[in-house]
Amino acid sequence: MSEPSSLPLVVKVQKVIKGLVLPVLAIVLWQWAGENGAIAGGALPTPDRVWDAWLKWGFGNPTFGLNPYVGTWRDSVMFSAGRVVHGFVIAIIVGVPLGMLIGWSRLVSSLVDPTIQWLRPVPITAWLPISIAVFGIRDFGAVFLIMIGAFYPIVINTTQGARDVERNWIRAALMMGASEGAILRRVVFPAALPSIFTGLRIGLGIAWTAVIVSEMVAVKSGLGYVLWDAYYVGRMDIVIADMVSIGLMGFLSDQLIVAVELWALRWRRMQSFNA
Amino acid sequence: MIKFSHVSKRYGGKGGVLALDQVDLTIGEGEFVALLGPSGCGKSTLLNLVAGFEPLTSGSMIFDGHHIDRPGPERAVVFQEASLLPWLSVWDNVVFGPVVQGLMAQDYEPRAREILKLVGLEAFHEALPVQLSGGMRQRVGIARALVMQPSALLMDEPFGALDAQTRLSMQQLLLDVWQRLKVTVLFVTHDIDEAILLADRVCVMTARPGRITRDIPITLRRPRSIDDLTNNDFMHFKAEIMAEMRGVHVPH
Repeated sequence: MSEPSSLPLVVKVQKVIKGLVLPVLAIVLWQWAGENGAIAGGALPTPDRVWDAWLKWGFGNPTFGLNPYVGTWRDSVMFSAGRVVHGFVIAIIVGVPLGMLIGWSRLVSSLVDPTIQWLRPVPITAWLPISIAVFGIRDFGAVFLIMIGAFYPIVINTTQGARDVERNWIRAALMMGASEGAILRRVVFPAALPSIFTGLRIGLGIAWTAVIVSEMVAVKSGLGYVLWDAYYVGRMDIVIADMVSIGLMGFLSDQLIVAVELWALRWRRMQSFNA
Repeated sequence: MIKFSHVSKRYGGKGGVLALDQVDLTIGEGEFVALLGPSGCGKSTLLNLVAGFEPLTSGSMIFDGHHIDRPGPERAVVFQEASLLPWLSVWDNVVFGPVVQGLMAQDYEPRAREILKLVGLEAFHEALPVQLSGGMRQRVGIARALVMQPSALLMDEPFGALDAQTRLSMQQLLLDVWQRLKVTVLFVTHDIDEAILLADRVCVMTARPGRITRDIPITLRRPRSIDDLTNNDFMHFKAEIMAEMRGVHVPH
């Protein structure tokens, strides 16, 4: 029933191919530039060397030697993804109900909204010292930062969605005898879901930024830690492989949310019976 | 059953728009009353006041012996665009009222099925509102209201957005439903034919400020059907109401 899956296969394949044109061109150009000395002093490894490094990092046997970039890719990805999931879920648990209340109740809005608007311009990087001071060089420092970063777009979009609920839907629920709680759960929440998903997608993007930043500075594991560490020891091939890994994880996790969204909002995409 | 005494409604505080000015109206049990008037005459405002959606500015409104201060299932509303919840199936829309009121399934399901049959939607339980035509959506809107066994049905130009042919079939449907259930109806419309065809009384309203200028009993025989739209008695009422509306139409 969903729009994307209802497209014919040929069209879908064509779409994917078109999307690959630019990356493939860039990789070819980069390889060519590297081989012909157009990149000064070999500051950047060529794509084939990055690929080799990535394969070793991903599938090498870590028991051979003490190289930290052999066979440890999966661990790094899981550390970072685990933190993202952890912080993101907390941000949802706090942000969605709070956004609904701010959007629904004038009192809650005037009590809470100003504080959120004042704190929001503080970038997540500025929270780093406090995070380290409070949580130390530990996992929860990263989780805390992710939570802060993902919280704002989630709460703000949820608020907007809850404010924009069609007045007659609420009136209809009122005249059918629904309590305030029932209206929030059965009308405001489903009506705000499209907005909520917008907030989730933006929030997840920020969550990945936050996890990389905090791992670069405050936590000693994960893709962000490897990124900075590899730079210090001059392993630019690993740096680039790491960047591509982050992009890939961000893309896949976003696609996961899109899939949930398509399922949860399938009522918006139904076709008419024409009966 | 419903009694308005000197009901006024002003929007936007002092110096705002006077939407209703000292309206008196009494509606008896089981009566079908149409509020007829041009747009902006306050007829929908009047209905919103009975529904409890808005507070009145002065006067009093009594429903079944109680002052109206909030919406409630005894005064079921049928909205102009149906206003169904688009993520719920036809069935879930219809049983929304009983469900949020915490009724037991066995206490409302047989009735809900019967009413869906009455409005001709028994084959569409699982359909979503977007899959239905405008007329079918409004049938769901009516079913959702009736399933709560309301004392009064408040209908706000429910067929105003439908094409002429669908409107006729919906009017016939409403006549049939009312003939069976004999529920009190307050029906807002700007369509003279519709008001005469459906109502026991047509209250003609004027704008700025909103007032009821005439209260005309429609003595056409019941049960009625859309064939009555062309008979002589009907035309007599139509002429009378048109004269009334022309006479009170103040140019502005």
